[in-house]
Amino acid sequence: MKKVMTALFAAGALVALAACGGNSSNDNSSGSSTEKVTLKFQSLAFQKTTVAATKKIVADWNAANPNIQVEYVQGSWDSVHDQLVTQFQGGTAPDIIHDESADITGFINQGYLADLSPYLSQGTKDAVSQGVWDTVSNDGKVYAAPTLMQSYVVLANTATLKQAGITATGDSLSWDDLAADAKKLTANGKYGLGWGLKSPTATVLNLGMNFDAKFFDGTGTDAKAVIGDPELEVPKRIHAMAYDDKSIDPTSLTQSATDVLPGFYAGKYGMIVVGNYAAQQILQEAPKGFQWEVLPPLKGTSTKQAANPQTLSVPAEGKHIEQSAKFIDYFMQADNLAAVGQGDWLIPTTQAARDAILKATGGKNGWPETLASGTELTKAPFQSVENYPKWKDQIATPAFQEFLANKTDLAALGKKLSDGWSQVNQ
Amino acid sequence: MTATLTAPTQVKKPGRPKQNREAIFLFLPALLPVLVLSVYPLIRGIALGFTNARAGLHVDTNFVGFDNFSKLLHNGLFWDSFRIGVIWTLSVTILQFVAALGLALLLNTDIKFRGVARTIALIPWAMPPVVVAIMWRLLLHPTNGPVNEILQNLHLTDHPINFLGNFSTALPAVIVVGIWVGMPMTTVTLLAGLQGIDRTLYEAAAVDGASAWSQFWNITLPQLRTVIVAITSLDMIWNFNSFGLVYVLTAGGPGGKTMLPMLFAYNEAFRYGNFGMAAAMGDVMVVIIIVFLAFYLRNRLRTEA
Amino acid sequence: MRTRSGTRVLQYVAVLCYLIFLGFPLLWLISSSLKSPQEFASITPTLLPKHFDLSNYTDALNEQGLIRGLGNSLQISIYTTILVLIVALPVSYALARFRSRLRPLTNGWILVSQVFPVILIVIPLFMILRPLHLTNTIPGVVIVYMVWSLPFALWMLQGYVAAVPRELEEAASVDGASRLRTIVSIVMPLLRPGLIATAMFTFISSWNEFFFALVLLQDPQLKTLPLVLARFVGAEGQVQFGPLAAASVLATVPSLVFFAFLQRRLTSGLLSGAVKG
Repeated sequence: MKKVMTALFAAGALVALAACGGNSSNDNSSGSSTEKVTLKFQSLAFQKTTVAATKKIVADWNAANPNIQVEYVQGSWDSVHDQLVTQFQGGTAPDIIHDESADITGFINQGYLADLSPYLSQGTKDAVSQGVWDTVSNDGKVYAAPTLMQSYVVLANTATLKQAGITATGDSLSWDDLAADAKKLTANGKYGLGWGLKSPTATVLNLGMNFDAKFFDGTGTDAKAVIGDPELEVPKRIHAMAYDDKSIDPTSLTQSATDVLPGFYAGKYGMIVVGNYAAQQILQEAPKGFQWEVLPPLKGTSTKQAANPQTLSVPAEGKHIEQSAKFIDYFMQADNLAAVGQGDWLIPTTQAARDAILKATGGKNGWPETLASGTELTKAPFQSVENYPKWKDQIATPAFQEFLANKTDLAALGKKLSDGWSQVNQ
Repeated sequence: MTATLTAPTQVKKPGRPKQNREAIFLFLPALLPVLVLSVYPLIRGIALGFTNARAGLHVDTNFVGFDNFSKLLHNGLFWDSFRIGVIWTLSVTILQFVAALGLALLLNTDIKFRGVARTIALIPWAMPPVVVAIMWRLLLHPTNGPVNEILQNLHLTDHPINFLGNFSTALPAVIVVGIWVGMPMTTVTLLAGLQGIDRTLYEAAAVDGASAWSQFWNITLPQLRTVIVAITSLDMIWNFNSFGLVYVLTAGGPGGKTMLPMLFAYNEAFRYGNFGMAAAMGDVMVVIIIVFLAFYLRNRLRTEA
Repeated sequence: MRTRSGTRVLQYVAVLCYLIFLGFPLLWLISSSLKSPQEFASITPTLLPKHFDLSNYTDALNEQGLIRGLGNSLQISIYTTILVLIVALPVSYALARFRSRLRPLTNGWILVSQVFPVILIVIPLFMILRPLHLTNTIPGVVIVYMVWSLPFALWMLQGYVAAVPRELEEAASVDGASRLRTIVSIVMPLLRPGLIATAMFTFISSWNEFFFALVLLQDPQLKTLPLVLARFVGAEGQVQFGPLAAASVLATVPSLVFFAFLQRRLTSGLLSGAVKG
């Protein structure tokens, strides 16, 4: 048996070697910047406006850099992870990879991504805050350029708010105020708050930063689960609003974030909590005359949230790492980031680009509040834990779902979260 | 499988040597591509289960014997998903078969608009899978989905139900979608089988005064047997293996109630990068399904030629 | 055979129920594709759009490569279907009729290939195709689809062949016809429903296939329809449903036309005369 296995692996290795010998790129230059190269840029731009903005960036670059041509390839968020896993294994990943920080952490650990720190310009490095760089770095190496971020925001139906005499101004909205407002808005079969928490883990952990929730201590596989009061604060409050105050529609807790929108337009929910990207969808599909606003950022002990930026990276085995990094550097320029950020309603990682959006939109449609939340986004402990995705899928998501469906109590939730970690982190 | 070689006395016509030669000749066009593009990758995939293969650049892969399997034995979550997988597989396969047989029998009669009806019956098949799942999410949407709208108008429920998000309805709801998606396949196969039944059998039975029910029981079912066994066993395998549909519908939720085993294995390989462990899960499923099917298919895997 | 009118009515009612269950989702999809985003998000859904809005269709058609994707998918599916039928017919005949040593091996392979997670096979497969310069080409995808549709085709066809009465063939071979001749002139016409069912399945599984295509085809010019459709699905469960619905209606039409055309032939050659049309 063992002999057969060895033979099989030998055969497999041969094929793999033969494959590596092949030339996977469509040109044969070896990295010197004077020869003409063509780079494949797999973009995940989603909204029409963002696709157009991204294509324009590529076209501008190509016009200015005849020797480094970039080819736009459309990818999709839905399948990017599977596609990259196979492409990395097969050695055919695109030269410039668009993804997000939460998704590439695994790829970084697996050594698939190139260190970009020698190639990115000082200007780019300075423009992004250290907390955000941390989400794409490991051991002093930088594996991606962070481009756009989302934060969780509270959106409100302006008319409903006015009727109830609620004015939400100021720098922040405390969780207590949120609960009080939601209660005030709950009447006659209408709920104060709709909250799509079908995939609860990301939301709970990101907003947990409001209360300094850690969830993990340490990095890699040595990390320990830390589940205490701060960690359980956000689920506790959501649960109380749904089942004590009855101001959150419990059905909405089982829906996806954007599935809650029709109820928001119809006045069924006075407020919703969503990723700020949902604003773009609201602009496109809300009924005429529907007025909404972005409330100030949620605050517990702070207004911090975890940053999970979109990223641009280069494969470690790429043939044109330097040229690819140059294009990424260009992409990071304020005007470019502002253009793509505005299209997807996401927050650029650089202050200059945020200012550009503010100027371009004239501070309408809740952009000032949205952009303001960008400064409070930073790396969370769970982002450097290797088995976090497994814990998230197999332990945390089912446990939060059970708790939010009122099937278990808070103590049981805490126990599941920490016991589950020792189970999956073996 | 050696059972196939133990019944030489049944060989009737031309001698075995000639049969084998002829058979090989008929096999030839398929042989090379199948060996290179299916058998070889399959063997590699199966062997992967005995290694610690992981995703990563320049990662060494070692033979680890039955390590993965002994770890798997203690993985309660895997076996939980296995139990859900069995419920899902049996419900979808059996209900789908019964529904499809009914539809195939109806479409095999001389009703009017048969052609139109047959084409409409194939609709679920013609829709790309990515669309099917998203569409059902909308149909079952608690706020603006037509299913809840209809149920409320008929006063069957007074408040909207989130079928896919509710702990007690999620699995039944994905089973209904599973049946919907697979109906055309099973119906067409059974219909083709019905078409192959010799009409004179029915005519003879009718002369003998057999009732419709007895014709169905004594002629249709026995005549369809090979086709029924073939399609239900395939349906069973496919249903056990499917996860894409459920993944888009519920992503395994709520609370892991719809976490199918293949989704579990998929996550292990593609999300956590443990190719070896995922392949071991695949191996376990291969063994279990084949043991199960060996019982179901014992006649077919032997020989009835 | 005469059916009593009571039974007849029941039959129509039953067929209608089936058709509503199977067809209503498409109806809803078509109606959704004609709604404006505002109407689509409305909390009181209606089957008929209040105003017909074609902008989803223009959006879908403006999308990079939808038409080309349709063409690529059509081409790949047709080639695959033809190849599968050519290869599968002789093999399934041999499987059903000969007691060859290859039979248990083949049936074993069929089962294992259907059970083992295909997703783990993609990487070795990719490694084989690359030195052969078959990645990123249509022939490469066709041959992969052919090989992976074959197990189903063989499994079903041998069942249908087994149902063809042996006596017919024996009569032909007494008359001195060669084996090949017997297959072509006696078995094939009787197998027609089975062949059609297999062709439909092969076509549709190639038409809908996503993962192999995702990995094997990187050139935007070669992308198949499911790859183009996936583009309307964004992060965090966001979906551009209007254009997606419009694009899928456009994508569903060719397969339905193909089915409408084929299902007429889903009747057995020899026996169709006996069935009232």
